[in-house]
Amino acid sequence: MEKGFVENGFIIDLSNAKNTTQLVFELSSIMEHPDVKGKNVCLKLGSLDLKQSQLLSIKALIESMDAKIAIMDTHSEQTQASAESLGITISEISGEIAPSIVCRPEENLEEEPVIVKEEGKTVEIHADIPLPQSPVETKEGIEDIYEEETAQELSEVIPSEHFGGDFESLATSEGLLKPEETSKYILLDTGDVLPEGVEENSVNTETLPTLYLNQTLRSGQTVNYEGNIFIIGDAHPGSEIVAAGDITVWGILGGIAHAGSLGNITAKVRALKLNAIQLRIAGLYARRNDTLNVPYVQKTNEFTPEEALIEEGKIVIYKKLRRD
Amino acid sequence: MTGRVIVITSGKGGVGKTTTSANIGTALAKDGYKVVLIDTDLGLRNLDLLLGLENRIVYTIVDVIEERCKLKQALVKDKKNPNLSLLAAAQTRDKSAVTAEQLKEICDTLKEENDFVLVDCPAGIEQGFQNAVAGASEAIVVTTPEMSAIRDADRIIGLLESKEEIKSYKLLLNRVRPSLIKSNEMMSVDDVVEILSCPLIGIIPEDTGIITSTNKGEPIVNDENALAGKAYRNVAQRILGEEVPFLDLDEPKGFMAKIKNAFAKLKAKV
Repeated sequence: MEKGFVENGFIIDLSNAKNTTQLVFELSSIMEHPDVKGKNVCLKLGSLDLKQSQLLSIKALIESMDAKIAIMDTHSEQTQASAESLGITISEISGEIAPSIVCRPEENLEEEPVIVKEEGKTVEIHADIPLPQSPVETKEGIEDIYEEETAQELSEVIPSEHFGGDFESLATSEGLLKPEETSKYILLDTGDVLPEGVEENSVNTETLPTLYLNQTLRSGQTVNYEGNIFIIGDAHPGSEIVAAGDITVWGILGGIAHAGSLGNITAKVRALKLNAIQLRIAGLYARRNDTLNVPYVQKTNEFTPEEALIEEGKIVIYKKLRRD
Repeated sequence: MTGRVIVITSGKGGVGKTTTSANIGTALAKDGYKVVLIDTDLGLRNLDLLLGLENRIVYTIVDVIEERCKLKQALVKDKKNPNLSLLAAAQTRDKSAVTAEQLKEICDTLKEENDFVLVDCPAGIEQGFQNAVAGASEAIVVTTPEMSAIRDADRIIGLLESKEEIKSYKLLLNRVRPSLIKSNEMMSVDDVVEILSCPLIGIIPEDTGIITSTNKGEPIVNDENALAGKAYRNVAQRILGEEVPFLDLDEPKGFMAKIKNAFAKLKAKV
């Protein structure tokens, strides 16, 4: 039999389940794990007979966790028939640590464990361990780009994503996926949002005064300053930071950030974790992509400092790479 | 076109005003009616979160009133349904930023171009409530089968009766748990209706799916299988004047039903 791989996947072994209830219970306790999200699930079902409706429920359960069934292994003929009617691929899953799973035999034939590239370091992941949440899209196109760029100097700042009106053409030219799937921020069509009498300018923000704040900015709180704002702490969703110059958050930025509010198009927004619900620079407004689905405040120890600025009429985000 | 302006209120907080607004609004828009939802809970807005529209808000109701933008600019279109739009509350201001007259004016303008204007009222009976009620001609009073919520609903109904503009008010009983009613641990629907002597427009069962749908920013009426979603769709039908029987809330029995229940509970855990 040809051997293949399931990318970004892992095996759930349920072959010991004696009845459907037990199966559902075991599956659900595994699916509760946050790392399951977005993964390709390889189900081992053993010899349990499942009707089409029961299998459909299992499929729905997995899909409700934003994961999907890549392949299924079963010894039961009834389950096999049910799977076929639902369009689920049946294949034998071997229980080895390295996934020798037949998935797409036409591509990816080497016998190697699933490898996820994560910003300069290579993580080898075995199929029976849930994958860590990777901040980098592991979809093929993106992965290639990162592979190339991480091979370059690591300390260099590289643009991670480009957004803007002509994103579509840009995306195809760079081999990226559709904007909805990859871009972290999407430009809003707000028309002219700059207040009257304010014109676009490019004053050097380094010449402006800076306001330092050492506190957590909570929902409903606003900071407005005609200069740069530097916050040591988190800015929670529902908070608003409006600065004529740059905004720097030494923490998680979850609220709205408006840099260059007086029309300064050279203003930047920086944060240790850039999760802003909306990013505004001068007259450009961008909303966070709906598909990101970030929890209320993402407390984390993993920080990837990012910097947002305007380039050629688009908001571009630069990601600072770590050297591990 | 003159649309209907309906205020959704309760007196007590946490009984489901915002959830009800989001779901009825979505259900009516799904039926092809033009609907605007107004969040009047200034400083504690939530309706945008329930609809998953938080990231699209540029202007709020305060910007409209203080003339920083036009009313049309401040309306945020729903992601899925172009018939539904939201006029968000300002998060960084409080209830005193708006007066009852200003809100009435906004409602009057909006009802000219929409079939329904649903006003999500803040908890309490102070300025926020007075503002929300100002432009409405109908009211839905949301309550749960608990003494504290019922007493507050009673107070609200009293206040609504004293307002000339409110032509009709209906009761929506939320978070009903049939198993508790059976064991006499919860007031029955009939008890509540009798205490409040107010016509009933809907009974919504307690559904853990509400928590998931709130966190996802996706109203539960979009879930065809959820019982609470069905109950909300029925409420929308009753608002439209159709006679829909109340749902039979007894929990389904049998093996497959139990599995389905288990799934519903699992989904809710996420």
